[in-house]
Amino acid sequence: MLVPILVITAIGLVCGVAIYICYVFIPTRVKGIDETLNLAGLLPGRNCGACGYPGCFGYAQALIGKPELIKNFACALSINDTERIAKIGEALGLSIDAAPKKALPHCGGNSEEVYNYSGVNSCRGAAQLLSGNRKCPFACLGLGDCVAVCPEGAISIDPEKKVAVVDWTKCTGCGLCAKECLIGILELVSDKTKIGHTCMYFPLRNIPGRERCELGCTHCMRCFRACESGAIIWNKEKGIPEFDESKCILCLKCIEECPTKCIEVVTLEKVPEKATA
Amino acid sequence: MSSMNLFALFFTLAIIQNFIVAQFLGLCPFFGVTKKLKDAVSMAAALSFVMISSAMITWFLTYYVLTPFNVLFMSTVVYILVIATFVQIVEMFIRRTNLTLYNALGIFLPLITVHCAVLGISVINVREGFSFIQAVVAAFGGAVGVVILMAIMAGIRERLDIANVPTNFRGLPIAIFVAAMLGLAFFGFGGIV
Repeated sequence: MLVPILVITAIGLVCGVAIYICYVFIPTRVKGIDETLNLAGLLPGRNCGACGYPGCFGYAQALIGKPELIKNFACALSINDTERIAKIGEALGLSIDAAPKKALPHCGGNSEEVYNYSGVNSCRGAAQLLSGNRKCPFACLGLGDCVAVCPEGAISIDPEKKVAVVDWTKCTGCGLCAKECLIGILELVSDKTKIGHTCMYFPLRNIPGRERCELGCTHCMRCFRACESGAIIWNKEKGIPEFDESKCILCLKCIEECPTKCIEVVTLEKVPEKATA
Repeated sequence: MSSMNLFALFFTLAIIQNFIVAQFLGLCPFFGVTKKLKDAVSMAAALSFVMISSAMITWFLTYYVLTPFNVLFMSTVVYILVIATFVQIVEMFIRRTNLTLYNALGIFLPLITVHCAVLGISVINVREGFSFIQAVVAAFGGAVGVVILMAIMAGIRERLDIANVPTNFRGLPIAIFVAAMLGLAFFGFGGIV
């Protein structure tokens, strides 16, 4: 009776001591493991994967090797947290100038459906059939790949128009949806953006029979001419307006002038009452 | 089984008496970690490593400690203790020396500490009275069988993700159906050796 007890106790003791010895004596041969763990602790820890690395630890590891990477993707979830961003910059020895961003969908969702899609409930599926079930080649397919990928639940699909709508109060600007959208409708813009263009249609890639909808940009440049503060820059390549939020005074003249109403106010700021009205 | 030649033993443990579909050992990672092929292969690789090394350790322990002191009836407890210690030390070692390997295998190692396939191979080795070489080959065969099964299962489940599965069967239920069919397929090898 005594022998088994002693043997088992001895084996247990040996195991315990072995773990302790290994804990004390295995040297840390990986350089920078402490820095990496420290940096990973500074990152938001949501493991959202928006940076393209497997989790925050993976990103921290990549950052230790190449600190410049933070400029491509300053971790969005902590962007509102300027203190934390400063700490990450300090840990990397860089000054990070990362403006907060938000996702902006460039589609008003008015394009008619050319066929009744009933396959896998995913934009990727629909895009394989005649490049999507909407008439316009730049229309939101509204099947919600971006909704599925958003870690914040900030995107919803408007049930009537079947178009992605981003709730800017929830959006952290991680850019996962912009990567996911295969039409390229979702764009990351500065969170100070005041006016947004809700159409991506430009005629350079015109496919016969796949025209813009009634609410699509006609490239008439009226908004460009209407703007008195020079806040609209005309993108000649695409033939669509781009907005300079530092000059925009939210006079809304461009919206008034737009014949198809494909310009809208997107800012969360309160639109000032018209002084002239 | 102890009278078989080594190749037959390997083939038996890898395919015919496959740990997952024939002996029903290690079903938890088989369903839990097979949603992505990469994860499944990492898990299976870590499992193979632990299986082979713990088979060696427990073989020595059985024949040089437990048998002389006549405490073979406590073998399960001792195996669990020793395997858990071994895995902890390996994990510590990997974490401190090789980050790449730690990222690939590290998070799966603690999951394997009390894994039934690892314990199973130790018990089978004793039950069948294998010699040391036979025990190592048996463990290697079992590990290869687990890797094959996990990889097949992960591949099928990745495909199932985009398939139009009836709502009630989505997720785990259809995975269990798939496992059943895989089991039937693997029983087709029965009687070869």
